[in-house]
Amino acid sequence: MITGSLWAALENSSLGSTIASNEWMFPTIETVHVISIVTVIGVIAVMDLRLLGLTSGSKSIAAMERDTLPLTWGAFALAVVTGTLLFISKAQSYTVNPYFIWKLLFMALAGVNMLVFHRRFSKGIELWGAPGGAIPLNAKFSATLSLLLWMVIPFCGRIVGFTLGTYYAG
Amino acid sequence: MDWLFHMTELLRGTHLVEFSLWVTDWPFALWLQSHFYAIPIFQTIHILAIAVLFSSVLLLNLRVLGVNGTDQGLDAAYRRYRPWMWSALFMLIFSGVILLISEPVRNMVNSVFWIKMSLLLLAVACSLWFQRSLRNHMGNWDISPSGHASLRIGAVFLTILWCLVIAGGRWIAYAPN
Repeated sequence: MITGSLWAALENSSLGSTIASNEWMFPTIETVHVISIVTVIGVIAVMDLRLLGLTSGSKSIAAMERDTLPLTWGAFALAVVTGTLLFISKAQSYTVNPYFIWKLLFMALAGVNMLVFHRRFSKGIELWGAPGGAIPLNAKFSATLSLLLWMVIPFCGRIVGFTLGTYYAG
Repeated sequence: MDWLFHMTELLRGTHLVEFSLWVTDWPFALWLQSHFYAIPIFQTIHILAIAVLFSSVLLLNLRVLGVNGTDQGLDAAYRRYRPWMWSALFMLIFSGVILLISEPVRNMVNSVFWIKMSLLLLAVACSLWFQRSLRNHMGNWDISPSGHASLRIGAVFLTILWCLVIAGGRWIAYAPN
């Protein structure tokens, strides 16, 4: 129950209560969160589709990475900052919500998937990543998993909004 | 934000009220309301379509600005992103109409909803115009990479406009009434 009081303290902190009670703060932060997550999801999908060999075939994967990686990380950082602010304002409702926990787990899985790709599957990418190169199966598997995870993650996030009162009667 | 409130008041005096109440009783509307996962699933489809549209707009516009994708000509980015943008818009309208049917009164008797629709129309019209200008300049684009000031401004303006459309969508839920 130590963590329980931690979430309560976070929610009742001046930052948490200000975001929760202010008329325009929560929706404004939510708006920035939406714009950043659609950027993350869409730009990652552009990379995944290239890795599957379905689009941008005339462009090397290395060039595609240069185009998408800074944008993805920039938007992801913004999504984390805004997401954390939204979390603080309703910490007790979010931490007991199974869909919120699933969302975090799927995001962690997406992170592991990316790490495995960059550490293991991307070997020889200078060769097979060139236009017309044969993309190995494990790279295609990574891309498919990434596409699926980034479809499920916003679904979990959306459900959280419908079930806040279901799991926590605050 | 008083004017938003007044605008909603004006909407309450129109036939939109009867129309949206009529839609509320459609069998499909009742089906959407009575299945817990239905609305979040269509909202997710809506968000995924926004992701495709917005990232396509962003990547094409960053190419126009010369920030991204300079390993290839503008025509490559144009061919890559334009069809995805318009297909995503089709998915957006499709899922959007379903979401409209799922909560007709909340959406149609809502000032923010109509502001969003106006911004959407403006964004679509500007995109058509912008893309036509891009096509006309495609041939000599990289010969004078520092030129095309009006198209560069257009790229920035369009990106901001799409952000406003997204913001409008989020604020429908918080409209004063």
